[in-house]
Amino acid sequence: MLAVTIFVCMFIPLLILSEFLFIEPFVIFHVVEDRIVSFVLIASISLMSAIVIPMNIYRIRTLQKSRSKIGGSIVGSIIGVSAGICSCGPIGFSIISTFGAVAGTATAFLTNYEIPLRLISLGLLCLVYYTTIKSISVECKIQ
Amino acid sequence: MNKRHVVSVVFVILVIVVAISFSSYQANLLEMHDKTKYLEKIAAKQSPLLNLENSSPALGSENAPVTIVEFGDYQCEACYHWFHNTRDTLIDNYIETGKAKLVFVDLPFLGRDSPKAAQASYCAEDQGQYWEYHTMLYTFQDGLPDSGWADRDRLNSFAFSLDMNMDEFNDCMDSSKYAKRVKANYDEAVKNGVQQTPTFIIISQDGTIEKFAGAQPYSVFAATIEPML
Repeated sequence: MLAVTIFVCMFIPLLILSEFLFIEPFVIFHVVEDRIVSFVLIASISLMSAIVIPMNIYRIRTLQKSRSKIGGSIVGSIIGVSAGICSCGPIGFSIISTFGAVAGTATAFLTNYEIPLRLISLGLLCLVYYTTIKSISVECKIQ
Repeated sequence: MNKRHVVSVVFVILVIVVAISFSSYQANLLEMHDKTKYLEKIAAKQSPLLNLENSSPALGSENAPVTIVEFGDYQCEACYHWFHNTRDTLIDNYIETGKAKLVFVDLPFLGRDSPKAAQASYCAEDQGQYWEYHTMLYTFQDGLPDSGWADRDRLNSFAFSLDMNMDEFNDCMDSSKYAKRVKANYDEAVKNGVQQTPTFIIISQDGTIEKFAGAQPYSVFAATIEPML
């Protein structure tokens, strides 16, 4: 249930922010050919976050283990979420209107390097998944 | 991966499939949109007309019953995507057929080169090449805002490529002849609650409007414009 909640809470807002899903004037889903990679990365990051974060919560609660891995998964998710936030969008407009040119450069950086940043995020989540699986299998081994 | 994880992954994939199917279903519904119901909906959205006196020249017939107003920034990536993925179909089906005209209003907020690019487009208008220059800017948009792709040298080179009179163009740019016009467009956009680029306002002949934001697909424009005709 937690995994589904995390997935939906990440995937839907990311689709809206990245302009794959529009809700006004009609609800419409639209992926153009030159942005398929971006869409696949958003889906993958949401999916990996939905797997990795609940796994680590389980590990911390049940096995009382360290919280370092959940930190990695949250960092990975945050990088994935913030990459590609369109500087032309309402968030970019508010940030640039408030903070000026420096904020403009920062948001433009996130937009322009969307794919590499999302790949880093996905790599981080995969790494956390791998190490978590490994540690769970060791920690849960019945002696 | 244990059984529980496999189940989770399968479930999430199912959610994606359902979401995509639902969206496609919505897109199909647009095609069969109830015209009467839609007209009732937009009738409630009567609004004072936009002030377009500082905007671009209209693309298409001045007598077209529908006006499509695009608020954009030449350094905006989403505007670039809309320009390359949707605009041509819209022009073929509505502008060239005389059903609609397109007007561009500058909302240059993404960097110091944005207002300059907007001013350059009006300097091109002085030589009768506004839309050619507009096309040039969206064709050659490249990289981060203010990365140099729309600096003064590039703006000059675009004008040169269009065989414009460079003395006239340089005089226009040096004197910032259209700085106030660009600022007026920015203020008009903000006054109308535009908070992102591209944003579109579609105005019918009877003054009803429909406003939506983002690089939306052609089907949204068709579903909005058709009931207005």
